[in-house]
Amino acid sequence: MAEIGHGGKEIVERILGPAEAVAKTKGLKSVPVRSQIANELIDIAYGWFTPLEGFMGKADLDSVCKKMRLTNGAVWSIPILFDLSEGEVSDNGIKEGDSLLLTFDDNPMAMFEVEEIYNYDKEEMCQAVYGTTEDKHPGCARTYQYKDTFLGGKITLVNRPKINPPYDPYFIPPLEMRKRFKGKGWERIVAHQTRNVPHTGHEWLMKGAWFQAYAELSIEKPLVGVLVNAIIGAKRKGDYIDEAIILTHDELRKAGYFGDHNHLTSLTFWDMRYAGPREAIFHAMLRTNLGLTHHMYGRDHAGVGTYYGAYDAHHLLATVQDELAITPVYSMNWLYCPHCGEITSEGLCNHRDEWQMFSGTLIRSIVQDGVKPPRLIFRPEVFDLVMECAEKYGFGSPFVTDEYLEKRTPVFNIPPLST
Amino acid sequence: MAEEKFPINIWVNEERYEKLQTAGLADMCEEMLAGLKVIRVYANSEQRDKILKVFPTAKFDSATTKSIELLPREVKDAIFAKVVEKKNIEILEEFLGQY
Repeated sequence: MAEIGHGGKEIVERILGPAEAVAKTKGLKSVPVRSQIANELIDIAYGWFTPLEGFMGKADLDSVCKKMRLTNGAVWSIPILFDLSEGEVSDNGIKEGDSLLLTFDDNPMAMFEVEEIYNYDKEEMCQAVYGTTEDKHPGCARTYQYKDTFLGGKITLVNRPKINPPYDPYFIPPLEMRKRFKGKGWERIVAHQTRNVPHTGHEWLMKGAWFQAYAELSIEKPLVGVLVNAIIGAKRKGDYIDEAIILTHDELRKAGYFGDHNHLTSLTFWDMRYAGPREAIFHAMLRTNLGLTHHMYGRDHAGVGTYYGAYDAHHLLATVQDELAITPVYSMNWLYCPHCGEITSEGLCNHRDEWQMFSGTLIRSIVQDGVKPPRLIFRPEVFDLVMECAEKYGFGSPFVTDEYLEKRTPVFNIPPLST
Repeated sequence: MAEEKFPINIWVNEERYEKLQTAGLADMCEEMLAGLKVIRVYANSEQRDKILKVFPTAKFDSATTKSIELLPREVKDAIFAKVVEKKNIEILEEFLGQY
């Protein structure tokens, strides 16, 4: 039976077998790509970006900017673009109608059928997508770093990525993910978007969303799961290292705060744009393709600085809700109340003067100061694993350092292409 | 209207607690988040902005805690040492004077 993704389109993996890949890529012009593009090649080819089959042409880009839709009418909020400089286009003699071989790690990765070569005003793109043209907005900064020429066209993966440990069990593409959900018998699955090591506020966000999603379903057997979907992409100094993020989330299941019956950890390759409301829509599309039915949204989802209001994402989601196949689950903050002696929701507890708020940033500050947070705030198994990851993967630090950026094991490699 | 103040949380690990005890300042600690000891040094908005400028890794958690976080460990150690030296948490103006 066909698996239907975002926009009502069937999810199809655009990946060639080795023999066909060798035959079809023979003699093609090679173009190396950077990690952002490699991530997006994987997202397109495995169906995370359904209904996209490749990089956007000008009409789609313009429609996404102006109408938040593809030209086929499907809601789409973030441009997915392939860029080259004018010099690279002319020096390589690239023209519309060509097929290119995109390489990563000096090995063949994907075939790119160039349908269109065009230009687009980057400031206009930034204003439409991010609501600002300021280059201090990380999404705008990324946009301004694009080279001046864009190429649109379909892509097909010719070589599957080799996902390196410890990430390999968490790479679960859309078609495989949907099989897993069926195997678990889950009727509703709620997405937890993360780029953080979980503290108990996150844990209760997930538990609260699980309750919300469960609603009227029968409790005779487990029918609802939480999917932690960690975003793996460009890192900034001071972030938690990727290994710590993904392994600690899974540790919540292994240590029994959740179980196999209601919790699964996975990853998606994506370089965050911090587009706030538009990124919230984008996350809904990604997770629809993964087979989820619900998506958690807190305050200022995927925002940065003071560019977006706390509930702007909720308001924008409401405008397209009828066209999304995923239901938003809005989450209030969880906090520590010393009077209650427990983690509670700001929507429940009325000891307002006693509330103690905490955030991922605050917990990072505690860890940096060499203090082990109490188990009510940060699970001891999670803390111990963070410290283990620091030694094993982080060159002594659980946070991204220059050394980590230089020497870390890549999340994936592209191996040589062979039959 | 009272001037808004933004805390820098100096989380008190064993080493810092020993120093506070030695200086007879153990009572200076507040308890937060189910048992964590902390000394809170407060900045006004001008001092907050200067801290964020001088120490680029620092972050003002504007969304949740309204506190200044992620100062480098050695900077926090220096603020803590100043608190112990002066036996007072009102040390930020003097501390920031050197930057």
